[in-house]
Amino acid sequence: MRSGVTCHQINWQDGVSMVKSVTILGLESSCDDTAAAVVRANGPEISVLASVVYGQTELHAPFGGVVPEIAARAHAEKIDHCVEEALDRAEVSLSQVDAIAVTAGPGLIGGVLSGVMCAKGLSAGANLPLIGVNHLAGHALTPRFTDGAVFPYLMLLVSGGHCQFLLVAGHDDFTRLGGTIDDAPGEAFDKTAKLLGLAQPGGPSVERAAKDGEATRFAFPRPLLDRPGCDMSFSGLKTALLRARNALLEAQGGLTAQDVADLSAGFQAAVCDVLTEKSRRALTLFKERHPDTPPLLAVAGGVAANGAIRDGLTALSRREGAGFIAPPLGYCTDNAAMIAWAGLERYRAGQFDDLTLVARPRWPLDSQSAPMLGSGKKGAKA
Amino acid sequence: MPPDPWVLAFDTSAAHCAVALLAGKTRRVCRVDSMVRGQAEHLMPMLETVLAEAGITWRDLNLIAVGTGPGNFTGIRISVAAARGLALALAIPAIGVSGFDTLAHGQAGPLWSVIPARRGHFYARYDEGPITGVPLQLSAPELDQLTGQKLCRTDVPAETFVENIARVSLGRADRAQPRPAPLYVRPPDAAPSNITAPILLT
Repeated sequence: MRSGVTCHQINWQDGVSMVKSVTILGLESSCDDTAAAVVRANGPEISVLASVVYGQTELHAPFGGVVPEIAARAHAEKIDHCVEEALDRAEVSLSQVDAIAVTAGPGLIGGVLSGVMCAKGLSAGANLPLIGVNHLAGHALTPRFTDGAVFPYLMLLVSGGHCQFLLVAGHDDFTRLGGTIDDAPGEAFDKTAKLLGLAQPGGPSVERAAKDGEATRFAFPRPLLDRPGCDMSFSGLKTALLRARNALLEAQGGLTAQDVADLSAGFQAAVCDVLTEKSRRALTLFKERHPDTPPLLAVAGGVAANGAIRDGLTALSRREGAGFIAPPLGYCTDNAAMIAWAGLERYRAGQFDDLTLVARPRWPLDSQSAPMLGSGKKGAKA
Repeated sequence: MPPDPWVLAFDTSAAHCAVALLAGKTRRVCRVDSMVRGQAEHLMPMLETVLAEAGITWRDLNLIAVGTGPGNFTGIRISVAAARGLALALAIPAIGVSGFDTLAHGQAGPLWSVIPARRGHFYARYDEGPITGVPLQLSAPELDQLTGQKLCRTDVPAETFVENIARVSLGRADRAQPRPAPLYVRPPDAAPSNITAPILLT
């Protein structure tokens, strides 16, 4: 991410006027990206001064999924380097920072702990306030600093570890309207890529293969569309793809390029249909609850990078008379700018933590709704 | 580095938070709080209490010393990550000291340093004076066979252990040191993917 990016102006909506500029250092280490960023608010003007992400894709590639212990080892020895690089690129010293924000969950606990302990060291050593941030809040609040989104809005959070609809009414006010009851779509894309011999991560490679494919050749299920509500399921879709693949392997001894393309297209179309139809239902719920607010659908998470899914959601929003926000890819996938931003919103509200801050593997954003059965096998559950 | 630098040493490689504060070679405060879990929440406030007891602040410190294990993987990461954050914020060195170096500190002659691991295993290293051996993970019978009649050092009180972390780091403070890194000895548990890619027909 380029330094010095100035994003949209923000309407704070809270009547608090910022007398001075506020600079937040953010740390993120909840899955397989080690990240640090510096975000500054000067009145209504928001700038991402630096956003550094160290990925771990190569470390996990041989294992076909994120290995928690490998991730934790990498985070513990990278996070401080990442912080140094972010401060360097932002040309900001710790003495010019107003608070340290860190992902305190949900996620792979070894990684979260590494980030939280590094942040505690920074906070104690530099005598700066510490702010624990929910990783999901980071994603859910991203449209605020990238596009100036105004509360309330509807958020579809869809990644390798998460899939849920959130009604975002304030920086600390989230209502979950529904979510996956088993796997997250990003995890299903990865599994599909593995089964078809495509590269990891699976999102981009399956999308590429699907371009030349015929989506209707295989009749893949659209799980839970026959049931009311906004809950989703992707585990049966994975099984259906595995069966279709195995049938071809048995009949032909292998897959042709066309088979791979058709299976990819069929799988992607099924995910797209489920997400689009459930988004429509979520938008309906949003309109019922906020009849006087122009509806707005925002999407974040790695799966939001998928062109077909983006197109489906864009078309849906147009049909439903809703605005649509898909932040730039670097802010859709895991990053620390969103953590610094969510920290900034908490800073304004005077919500600070102390050095006893707890790292949490599970941390639902919406404490009112009943917990979900699962939200992705890849890691973070909420 | 001043002649009598303030050294703050801490260790969470076993079921404890252990802290020692030294002024040069003089021990000023040493505390050990036993706990199986909760070190991540307990450690930093405990360090602040120790500093306060000696009447100093974070800014007075000259050196951070941290136990890098082997031991509980999560535990050693907790201390290493905190030490790295502190070093960055305070612009002072953080030096990592392994459990083997800690046990061998001040011992002359051939020595096995032994640290309990999980599932009845042990981490062990054999040193002959200044020549240090390769860290190993051994079962109890393997350990018995290897160590034989030779001198073994293990089960040091946690107070002595953490104080020695500080003393070893002091001996290294005159030259540049790498950032502290956990010493795991055992590779991560991870099985390669069991899905084989299909044959691509042309």
